[in-house]
Amino acid sequence: MEFLGYFGGVFEPVAMMLLLGGTVGGLILGATPGLSPTMAVALLIPFTFQLSPAHGLILLGAAYTSTVAGGAVSAILLKIPGAPANIATALDGHEMAKQGEGARALHLSFLASGIGGVIGVLLLIFLTPVLAQWALAFGPSHLFWMAILGVTLIGSLDSKSFVKGLLSGCIGLWLSTIGYDDMQGVPRFVFADALTGGINIIAALIGLFAIPQVMEMFAKGRRDLAIEQVAVTKHKLSDSIGEIGRSGRALSIGTVIGSIIGLVPGVGGQIAGLVAYDQTRKLSPHKAKFGTGHPEGVIAAESANNAMVGPSLVPLLTLSIPGSPTAAVLLGGLLIHGIFPGGDLFERHPEVIWTFINSMLLGQILMVVFGIWIAASAAKIARAPVPIMAAAVLILAVFGSYSVQQSMGDVYVMLLLGIGMYALEKFGFSAAPLVLGLILGPIAEANFIQGSMIANAMDGPWTYFFGGPLNLLLVALVVGSILYSFLSNRAENAALAKAVEVGE
Amino acid sequence: MKRLLTGLTMALATVAMTGAASAADTYPERPIGVAVSYGAGGATDFQARIVTMVAGNEDLLGQPIYIINKPGAGGRVGWNWLATQADNDGYTMGAYNVPHFIAQSIKGGVKYSAESFEPIANWGEDPAVVVVGKDSEFDSMEDLVAFAKENPGKTTTSGAGLFVGHHIAALQIEKACECKLAYIPTKGGGAAAMKAVIAGDVLAGINNLSDAYRAREAGNVKILGVADVKRNEEFLSDVPTLQEAGLDVDNSSVNYRGLMVPKGTDPAVIKVLAEKVPAMFENSRVAKRMKAGGSPMNVMNREEVQKMWAEREEFLKELLSGL
Amino acid sequence: MTSTRLQHTIPALIVLAIAAVVAWLSFTEEPSDAFLFPRVISVFFLGLALWNAYRAVSGLARVGGGIDGNTAINVLPGLLVALGFVFLAATSLGFYAAGALAFFTIYTIYDPVPLSSLNGWVRRIAVTLVFMGVIYALFALLLQVQTPRGMFF
Repeated sequence: MEFLGYFGGVFEPVAMMLLLGGTVGGLILGATPGLSPTMAVALLIPFTFQLSPAHGLILLGAAYTSTVAGGAVSAILLKIPGAPANIATALDGHEMAKQGEGARALHLSFLASGIGGVIGVLLLIFLTPVLAQWALAFGPSHLFWMAILGVTLIGSLDSKSFVKGLLSGCIGLWLSTIGYDDMQGVPRFVFADALTGGINIIAALIGLFAIPQVMEMFAKGRRDLAIEQVAVTKHKLSDSIGEIGRSGRALSIGTVIGSIIGLVPGVGGQIAGLVAYDQTRKLSPHKAKFGTGHPEGVIAAESANNAMVGPSLVPLLTLSIPGSPTAAVLLGGLLIHGIFPGGDLFERHPEVIWTFINSMLLGQILMVVFGIWIAASAAKIARAPVPIMAAAVLILAVFGSYSVQQSMGDVYVMLLLGIGMYALEKFGFSAAPLVLGLILGPIAEANFIQGSMIANAMDGPWTYFFGGPLNLLLVALVVGSILYSFLSNRAENAALAKAVEVGE
Repeated sequence: MKRLLTGLTMALATVAMTGAASAADTYPERPIGVAVSYGAGGATDFQARIVTMVAGNEDLLGQPIYIINKPGAGGRVGWNWLATQADNDGYTMGAYNVPHFIAQSIKGGVKYSAESFEPIANWGEDPAVVVVGKDSEFDSMEDLVAFAKENPGKTTTSGAGLFVGHHIAALQIEKACECKLAYIPTKGGGAAAMKAVIAGDVLAGINNLSDAYRAREAGNVKILGVADVKRNEEFLSDVPTLQEAGLDVDNSSVNYRGLMVPKGTDPAVIKVLAEKVPAMFENSRVAKRMKAGGSPMNVMNREEVQKMWAEREEFLKELLSGL
Repeated sequence: MTSTRLQHTIPALIVLAIAAVVAWLSFTEEPSDAFLFPRVISVFFLGLALWNAYRAVSGLARVGGGIDGNTAINVLPGLLVALGFVFLAATSLGFYAAGALAFFTIYTIYDPVPLSSLNGWVRRIAVTLVFMGVIYALFALLLQVQTPRGMFF
């Protein structure tokens, strides 16, 4: 309960101002296409040069929490996921927004983020020493299996056709190998100069999700759209709170998966939302509703990606190992003030570190308040005429993908991938498994190669990749996941065939 | 309307022409970008952000410097971009890491060499050190070398990638002890390599002095030796050099960080930068932040860096020719 | 062969061709160590692409409505503007000028308001300027992104 003693520090006027500024700024930066939480926090670091260590960290803590949630705004309203964490949010969230339920989707997303986020930070406060050991337990072999486990979700994720889902995943895996090979520095599949850096994941996300969306709007042609304008439903906050209360399953699956996976260095943050979404769908009695604007999809994804925020800092604060790119940037924020993270951080700089953690806790609550405050007006975006939306999303996609690393190559790749994806979607392929392949490919490859090198120096690949309880557990999960997708696909096909017979 | 447009075009054209004529006199007129070949949060990125933070001061460049991250393949992606795609108008600089980019260009497969860039100034010098986990059986370089001699190819040693400073240090150690290590390059830079050491995924690691110092402060690792010709008195005065431990390893793997511009940049612009940038690195606020973060500094001017590059290139050609 | 079957066959064959090229490159390019992972992927990729092509040719593929002529005609102008904006105008005219032009053109092409209406033109120009103003404020002023300048800005 030591952290309670340092709450006073957060309520000083300056600290409060920074907290508010960090939260609002974080929401705006997070909602900006192309600006991942990592880049947003990196942009704020120079502002902390002038501040005291505690104040600087309040700003960064609040910004980190709210950028992750802010990404949901553009994912829901524009179908431009701000970061890999928000992909799953876009799947159902944007469908809701298209049906005029944008306000509800945003309410649920912020409430779920807040609940997941607070639980995540509480885990950070109370269980840090235990969790640190867990984070260290993942070596290359385990990370390899984690990535493969993620790949096995491909077959069942947001796809109406099993074979096309897997094929989309393979395309994504292949795209991830384009560019210089990270280990040996050999160029692979570099057909154009723009590809030497490989396919940037944020630019690809923007292209794969936003561009098909723009083209769908083009496809509507020059119709008088007054007739089909969406009625944006006003949505009462109390209803959303009630709905969150009834969605215990999605919320708890999201929070638990988010906090466990968030801990795994290098893998967690990117796939927590997708894994939670997939699990919630598998365990839901309304499986078919997912992907059509089902609120549980939003709740699971957003509670997971904010629950991850707290635990993802455990390896950083206790072991001085940044477990995610954003944690690496935060490490920089600590170092410029001469604060070295490590086991005794909480004894050496208690006032700084507890103020930081408390600011994340309060930041979660402020973020919910602000998020809900803007939800109603933000959701009106869905009422904008189709030609304006089409043009606006295109421009945002171009500027967003350019700003990732100020490179025209990324913009070219973004647009061409998007156009390709539009065509593929018309024939039953889908973007979500493709993106999952794109994210997991490099993780699987790097850990496989690194693991093989270690294994060759030690007892051989078999013992290395299959030895120990954690490896075996992960392998069992992989096998289980494959069997599940295969069996449920057969069952669905059988049901479909029956339905077709009856229909004819 | 038409007249307005013509007028506007002419005005713009005039601005553009006068701009070209006196570019060097008024340089810099807008913010300058620095392409860092590693991701946000890495040691190079972090230090680049600190050493450029006072660029906007009137007595220095008078314009802020912003960082562009172009990570990938141990730096190759960013340096390829700088050599082939970046504008050489003085508004795009790059951060160099020596010996990394020189070693990579000797190894081949990239579109740059030391001749593709013009050095401006050096800000930092980060020697490679040998680290082991805190519970490791090795307490000195002698222990580690003895183990490596008995078990050739079994001493798994992590480092930040192939043909970066860490790898060069590993190659030099192997040559000096006449033994075989198992060098394991990690993806994700020094942080991932350090994690592998702390978690016990590997027996030993080669890492940056700054990161290793921090990890030791946190009680996670033991530092066995510094790959430099002298001890680091500021941070690690108790750690012997590899030469003291009987290994003939010099300072060739030391990671020098600094700024450069692509070849073809106006000599007048280079002159302005070569004069102002070292002063920027020597700013007291910069030095204070760098020291707080445990990052060793060594400011060198353009001539010194040119000499250092040439020396490194010669040495690396010899070391890598055997591979 | 029915039209849907043909519709599905063409993309399936394109994907198959890509998979074949990927497999070919993965197994022939050097050094082979660096292509280990692409090889593993390409085997699965090619296998699945073959299966998918078989399903398409034999008429088993039913998911996805395909692209009809009407859709193509509607999409084409917008698509051309997008391509022209990104590949030509963005670097030659400058990012913001090209962006404004692309926004305005797309809005004009797809706006149901008749082109003879003066109000329509005024509104389209106004919306374009306001939107690009917001974009400029966000990317240039707040985030300080340095975009390609070209002739204008």
